[in-house]
Amino acid sequence: MVENSPSPLPERAIYGFVLFLGSQFGFFLYCLWAYIPEEWLHSVGLTYWPQKYWALAMPIYLLVALMVFVVVLFGINMNNTAPLDSVDNITDVFAQGQRSDCYRKGGIPRLKDVSISEVNKMFYLSSDR
Amino acid sequence: MEDESFCNISGKPISLDCQSHSSFCREFTVSTPKISIGKVMVYTCSVWLFAYTVFFFTQNTAVLSSAILITLVGMMLHIHFVKVDHESLLVIGSLGIQVSSSYASGREVTTFIEMSKIKDIVINEAVYLHQIIYYLCVLLRDPSEPHGVSSVVTLFQSSKPRLNCLVKIYKSCQEILSTCK
Repeated sequence: MVENSPSPLPERAIYGFVLFLGSQFGFFLYCLWAYIPEEWLHSVGLTYWPQKYWALAMPIYLLVALMVFVVVLFGINMNNTAPLDSVDNITDVFAQGQRSDCYRKGGIPRLKDVSISEVNKMFYLSSDR
Repeated sequence: MEDESFCNISGKPISLDCQSHSSFCREFTVSTPKISIGKVMVYTCSVWLFAYTVFFFTQNTAVLSSAILITLVGMMLHIHFVKVDHESLLVIGSLGIQVSSSYASGREVTTFIEMSKIKDIVINEAVYLHQIIYYLCVLLRDPSEPHGVSSVVTLFQSSKPRLNCLVKIYKSCQEILSTCK
């Protein structure tokens, strides 16, 4: 049975190092392709590569997409928040479908959602704190 | 009638007025401060200054008259539809509650909810924009299902008082609701 824990392991260190070397090598190849003029690449025989326009356009597209994504994510979250007068702030389908207590002497009571009226009474009406 | 210093969630001062008409009838009024003349003058001057600079470059007099019209109409709409002067909650035991909000122009919007539809009046916390606020709300129930919450009506949503004010109103309301329900 394989352990599922987030602790560092030798295999994970090796994966990490391989990824690190791979990404550095990939970046080196990308820089080579971006800087070497087209004629030299054609003379070696590498003819079917993307236009050099994309060497600049792709990083810029990615950065702008990242910034727009952050703003849009925040906006979608705010849009999906329930308004103050919605029932979702009080209860939901799972809380309404709870089964009532079947107490056994000395047993642990069932875990359940306490209704907002009881919570309020506990907080604001009981003055023995 | 007590008047401690309360404030709303942004820190602006509001005032609470509790009146006990009888042992089972109480009225709570939360008033927000009136529009300050300084703010009105700042807005009007900035709009007119902007319109004058546009006129200076385009030499079109319609810009000036439209700026005057916009400020007048905007102020009228604001005091009639947006600016709430005071909101009140009237609780009458075994009859119902009446929620009313009156605007700066004198317009009043009133709603009455009868006691059989009211399940409880509670203080709830919810996410509001970037913060979590306490607000007072009435839980309504369907007469056919006495143990479920069918809808929620928020109280004092324009003045949004803070927790100390809400607790005071809550305790007072619960005295009436627990005896006369």
